[in-house]
Amino acid sequence: MSENAYLPLLARIVHIKEEVPGARAIKTFRVQFMNGGGFEHEPGQCAMISVFGKGESMISIASAPVITDYKQFSIMRSGRVTTAIHDMKVGDVIGVRGPYGNKFPVKDWKGRNLIFISGGCGLAPIWPVIQTAVANRKDFGTITVFYGGRTSRDIMYAAELEKLRGAADVHLSIDSPEEGWEGYCGFVPANVMSKPQNPDNTIAITCGPPIMIKFVINNLREMGFAEDQIYTTIENKMKCGIGKCGRCNVGKDYVCVKGPVYSWAQLKTLPQEY
Amino acid sequence: MEATLKKEKLGQWIAALQKHGDVFAPDFVEDAWEFTKVKSGAEVPLDHTNTVRPAKGFVFPQREVLYRFRLENGKAPELTDSEPKVKPAVVFGVRPCDGRAMVRNDRVFACGFSDPYYQARRDKVVFVGLACNAPPSPNCFCVSLGGSPHSEDGLDVLMTELDGRYHIKATTDKGKDLVTRARDLFQDPNAADNKEVRNAHAIALEHPQRAISTMETVVEALRRNFTSPLWDKLAQACIGCGACTYLCPSCHCFDINDEVTGKSPLTGERVRTWDNCQFPDFTMHSSGHNPREDTGARLRQRICHKLLYFVENHKMQQCTGCGRCITHCPVGIDIVKIANVMEEGVWQ
Repeated sequence: MSENAYLPLLARIVHIKEEVPGARAIKTFRVQFMNGGGFEHEPGQCAMISVFGKGESMISIASAPVITDYKQFSIMRSGRVTTAIHDMKVGDVIGVRGPYGNKFPVKDWKGRNLIFISGGCGLAPIWPVIQTAVANRKDFGTITVFYGGRTSRDIMYAAELEKLRGAADVHLSIDSPEEGWEGYCGFVPANVMSKPQNPDNTIAITCGPPIMIKFVINNLREMGFAEDQIYTTIENKMKCGIGKCGRCNVGKDYVCVKGPVYSWAQLKTLPQEY
Repeated sequence: MEATLKKEKLGQWIAALQKHGDVFAPDFVEDAWEFTKVKSGAEVPLDHTNTVRPAKGFVFPQREVLYRFRLENGKAPELTDSEPKVKPAVVFGVRPCDGRAMVRNDRVFACGFSDPYYQARRDKVVFVGLACNAPPSPNCFCVSLGGSPHSEDGLDVLMTELDGRYHIKATTDKGKDLVTRARDLFQDPNAADNKEVRNAHAIALEHPQRAISTMETVVEALRRNFTSPLWDKLAQACIGCGACTYLCPSCHCFDINDEVTGKSPLTGERVRTWDNCQFPDFTMHSSGHNPREDTGARLRQRICHKLLYFVENHKMQQCTGCGRCITHCPVGIDIVKIANVMEEGVWQ
């Protein structure tokens, strides 16, 4: 990493995939660092993406740490910077600085069963964890993935999720019935509730819209999961990424440094300002 | 290093320092005390109350360019000028509250990732403090926060005004340099000087100040009242102007934005500017969700950051009792009153 933490590395977009169409479109970008730059990351960490002339946005790194020839970001079109990056083409150059934040303690979960529960673009931050778990399949017990989108067109990583089957139990859902849909119809927390999970020796990792996370945690607690068996990530507006600009704090914690990964046991000690 | 300086020689000292860089001191400009560049030969009376804007701007300017970018069609972006260029400067007349605030700013900008822009300025700017022989503002409350009218924390030199002369105490290498550069102007302090300094400092402490009466328990009181409806009441008059934080010597929040200067090729600057936790869009997500969506939550953030979160993270308050946020609030929001109210949990 550059000595000046504010100075991004340059990275070229080498691949773009449209995951979800529409007003809240999601695209996956693969970027390669230029000029011999680069950094290693851990699952759960984020990077500050620059579109020069527009600004910066904090985005979770969606590629597995073992992949070294590119970094992957799945980005929803939402504000000024994310809209600008959605308009970019393969070959265009962005800035990337990081990695920022803490990580999922995957190494501590050896021998445990893992349940991933996510919705919308919340699959991206936990995707490196799923990839790491599947790549080291024998280190873990059962692996279960719940994922839901509003409609079948809102399912991101659809092909990758299909490939997971075999290594993991995959349960997809959409909010309301559609012709030809064979998965669950209803919200993600309800899908989880319809297939009760045994909390013994199990870690649950959830990421998605705040309202989904809230109900998922309620349901997991009802199933008997302890507070330290539940992990989630939180997001807040960020500008610096290094604990100085002062806006992403939840109580005493700057999410960019102390987060974004929290166990529910840790998170419930913080004020609800996220 | 301690010395005395006759008042009539202050001008010569400043002239000697101006050979090495700019010298700033408070001047009454239009209707306010502001740190102003001292013109060659100008008199510096050091008879100011406290500057409206704090000294933090010398190490953390309101606007600064982090780097410039240039994108020629089809070529990789060029990023230039990422090294902060800083002229050496000496700032006179810094009140001890602003000095202690610098210790807080050092914590923020130096902990974890170091901030090269702040650090470059901090290394080159020398702060010469002026002890407050009497409180410069009716809203001073430095003593409540463990400070004092003659605290040396964060300063390179502390000057104390005595009869016809100043007592000078240089506590850092940068500070000692200032004295060494014009050694002939100074005298070694004698027993009478030392006695007069002790007296001046003792008298300064006897002046009444405002006080947070519950400083030991305010941390617990703020935790207890986090979800209290009190915050909405206290913030009811707030118009969200943000004067409190812009004028605060230890508020450090900033924004980073791109300012485009040319379209083809695309050129511009990535700029850091002071930002403000009292503004709604400070924390608003691009989705429209806002974790601190009303003035009550934003006032609570300002007070809790200063008197709770910073204490939890750094074992010191992020407030040094200068009173600017009280004096300049257009609607009378008052951190001393709020801290005192928290203990009781009620406010009429």
